[in-house]
Amino acid sequence: MSLVRVADSIDCFVLRSSIRRRAGYCARLAVLLLACASFHLPVSRAQQSPPSEYQVKAAYLYNFGKFVDWSATSVAAKGDGFQICVLGQDPFGPALDAALATQSIDGKNVMARRISKPQGAVSCRILFISSSEDHQLKGIFTVLDGAGVLTVSDIPQFSQRGGMIGFTLDGNRVRFEVNLATAEAAGLTLSSELLKVAVAVRRNTSSGD
Amino acid sequence: MFTDHSISKKLTWMNMLVSGVALLIACVALIGYDLVTFRAVAVSNLSTQAQIAASNSISALLFDDPQAAQNTLSALKTAPNIKSAGIYTLDGHPFAAYWRDQGRQVPALPSMAPGQTEAYEFEGNQVVLVRAIESEGKPIGMVYMQSDSQILNARLRRYAGICAIVLVASLLAALLVSSMFRRTVAEPIVRLAEIARAVSRDKNYSVRATANGSGGELIVLVDAFNEMLVQIQERDGALQRGRDELEQRVQERTTELETAKKEVEEHSYSILQAKEELERASKFKDQFLSTMSHELRTPLNAILGFSDLLPDERYGPLNERQRRYVTHIHTSGQHLLNLINDILDLSKIEAGRLELAFESVRVETSFREVLDTLRPLADKKSHTLSHKVENDPYVRADATRFKQVLMNLVGNAIKFMPEGGHIELAARVMEGQVRVEVRDTGPGIPAEEQKRIFESFYRLRQSEKSAEGTGLGLAITQRLVEMHGGELRLESEVGHGSCFYFSLPIAPSIRETLAQREHPGLKASEPQRILVIEDDLAAAQLIESQLVSSGYEVVTCDQPQRAAEVAATLRPNAITLDLLMKPIPGWEVLGQLKRDPLTANIPVIVISVANSPAMGAILGADEYLAKPVDRAVLLAALERCLGAQPIELGRSILVVEDDDATREVISELLTSQGYEVTTASDGAQARAQIATTLPTLVILDLLLPNVNGFELLVEWRANTRTADLPVFVLTSKDLTQEEETYLRAHAEYLFHKQQPWQEALANQVRRVARLGQMENA
Repeated sequence: MSLVRVADSIDCFVLRSSIRRRAGYCARLAVLLLACASFHLPVSRAQQSPPSEYQVKAAYLYNFGKFVDWSATSVAAKGDGFQICVLGQDPFGPALDAALATQSIDGKNVMARRISKPQGAVSCRILFISSSEDHQLKGIFTVLDGAGVLTVSDIPQFSQRGGMIGFTLDGNRVRFEVNLATAEAAGLTLSSELLKVAVAVRRNTSSGD
Repeated sequence: MFTDHSISKKLTWMNMLVSGVALLIACVALIGYDLVTFRAVAVSNLSTQAQIAASNSISALLFDDPQAAQNTLSALKTAPNIKSAGIYTLDGHPFAAYWRDQGRQVPALPSMAPGQTEAYEFEGNQVVLVRAIESEGKPIGMVYMQSDSQILNARLRRYAGICAIVLVASLLAALLVSSMFRRTVAEPIVRLAEIARAVSRDKNYSVRATANGSGGELIVLVDAFNEMLVQIQERDGALQRGRDELEQRVQERTTELETAKKEVEEHSYSILQAKEELERASKFKDQFLSTMSHELRTPLNAILGFSDLLPDERYGPLNERQRRYVTHIHTSGQHLLNLINDILDLSKIEAGRLELAFESVRVETSFREVLDTLRPLADKKSHTLSHKVENDPYVRADATRFKQVLMNLVGNAIKFMPEGGHIELAARVMEGQVRVEVRDTGPGIPAEEQKRIFESFYRLRQSEKSAEGTGLGLAITQRLVEMHGGELRLESEVGHGSCFYFSLPIAPSIRETLAQREHPGLKASEPQRILVIEDDLAAAQLIESQLVSSGYEVVTCDQPQRAAEVAATLRPNAITLDLLMKPIPGWEVLGQLKRDPLTANIPVIVISVANSPAMGAILGADEYLAKPVDRAVLLAALERCLGAQPIELGRSILVVEDDDATREVISELLTSQGYEVTTASDGAQARAQIATTLPTLVILDLLLPNVNGFELLVEWRANTRTADLPVFVLTSKDLTQEEETYLRAHAEYLFHKQQPWQEALANQVRRVARLGQMENA
């Protein structure tokens, strides 16, 4: 997201009254800038470099939470925090904590947790399985069976192998695949909105490997 | 715009206009309301669609999937009201866009206030709406939608079309309705108007209007119109009958008039005759009057003359009784003369033959002169006199006649008041006129006599016992005032005195302009000295300046009591003398001068307002001038006195007089003084006598048989031999201004027989004779 262009065009804002008649770009920016101001977005971000892959992925982790309904699972009853957990070697670094800071979903504060054992993941709503855990995927899925935890990973073929949402890369664009069957089997309801933007949606239960 | 149209057209127009306007207003209101509603609906629709698009593109935004957003927007293809739409990311990047047509232009977007999630703006008939896209209460982007104006425009067009159709339809309906109205309302009125027009054009009052098919007020109108026609028809008939009668009557009258005219024509000849007779009579009257003055006075002159001579007892002594009788004869004769003079004056006034010489007359001066003249008379009856003048006015009047009026009024008051009364003369300016009053403290005049008092010969009952007065004074006075443009009135109450008053036009005050003129009769080396005896300083200065400017040396004496003394010391070449002076009058001064041998021969010119030259002559005045004195007149008189050619004194005097008695009176008068008298009884005789022997002096009557006095005088003056012959004119003729002027220029002296003249004549003859003696000595 290139917020730099906003800064490039900053002179347009000053002449707000005269830009209405110009072609839409400046006017559009002006409207959005006002909106930014009211939503307390840190404009300074515009100065930063484009987000890294894991920054995007961190944001996606959080966003997934908005389109998943946990009401039919036991996780919903546990605790009042909305935990997003990272299992194994953490590829995010501070990016995840930054993405989740002050965020909330359904009135619950979102927090990041890093865990080393799949058993610790039962209280998590979303579990990112690091690629370091590729070798013990089966065991992890077994532990989490029926726990109502949304499993996400960038391990290749993740959705085919029994995971729910698997990150893919389309050029340098982060996309994802959804295995609807596994999610539904875990008692999770995924919004059609989410499915709409998924690269691929699997509806049959895979045998896995 | 309706003025030329008939009422039915007006009705139609009115109907159509009313319905048209009403419909138009309704249509506009409807369209306006629909527009507002439609816009609200459009906004609401747009808002809903924007909400849907927003919620459907949350995930696309969150997961940076423009294609998904594009798909969402593409669904708008099924919404025909959307012209364009777009989704933007939070940082202002276009994320997805949709256009119905190829235009691909992003409209100007409305701004959103902080806290708002939606805003819209109309541009023409299209709405642009923006909506924030939120996720978990936080904005993540924005969607805009632009409505298509074509729908609204199409809708408006449809409405306009419907309105037009409805309008036309309703106008047609209105036309139909009004044509129905016309039948019931307009047509009867139009018919009524046509009938009214026909009636006024053809004067046919027998037609009637009908009110079929209408009701209400129209029936009343038609009935009233018919009623009016009935009345007009009746009146017209009556008028016609009246005119016929009138014509007949006129014919009758014309016949009568023609008869009368014939009669009048018959009479007119006799009237013409009568008129000629009247004119003859009037001319005769004039002639009678002028001869009267001569014929009446001539015998009176004899009576007065002889009765005056008799007491001299030149032809034997008179006893006491004879002397008394002669006095009675003289007094009665004098009274008769006054009466005749008054009658002739009055006749002259009434015949319009009295000429007035108008000038500016100072009222104050006239008052003083009149009072001074009459004071001796008033003193005799112990009356007191006073005068009061406000603002020192001048009146436009004949000075002499003005004074005559005042004299008469004051004289009457003196005469008719019991002893010890008071008379006041007053003048004041009122409304551009000068009001003059003569007020006395007499017994007053009863109301019933006040009107008759101005009639000729009327005399107050109470005064009948006194024989004075002719009964003509007031009548003359009144006529004189009228000739001056005033009216003599009387206010009186028995026991409270009387007041006669009249008003005359105010006149500008006069200022004497002194013309510088070298007097021809003066020797420059030897200034002649003139003594001016005059107690009024202003008058004295006037005379002085007139004389000094002509080279005379002037000494003024304003104390009459010392005048004789001054004259004796100064021995002036001539004296001018005022008559009305205080403390002693001019008469007395004149007497003193003539008695003193030192001054007896000094010529005296009387200058007075009292117009009685005869009196002046009696007392020995050489010239008698009326005030105010014209400079030329004064100088001429002085010249006569100073430079007069000495009369060659034989003591022979020729008396030319046609009346035997008068001739004898004059002869007697002169012979008694020691003159040689020759006589001529007509003009021809006189002419013959002069041709043979030249007398020292001629006393000439003017009205003579054969050749009259004027002709003689003209003849003599034209002849060098007789050019300087002294001629005294003695006449009873009423002279015109011209005649008098001529005589004053060409005769040495002029005596009127109307006035007492004997004494004056004797004095003047004596003076001339003395002059001659001096020359001889």
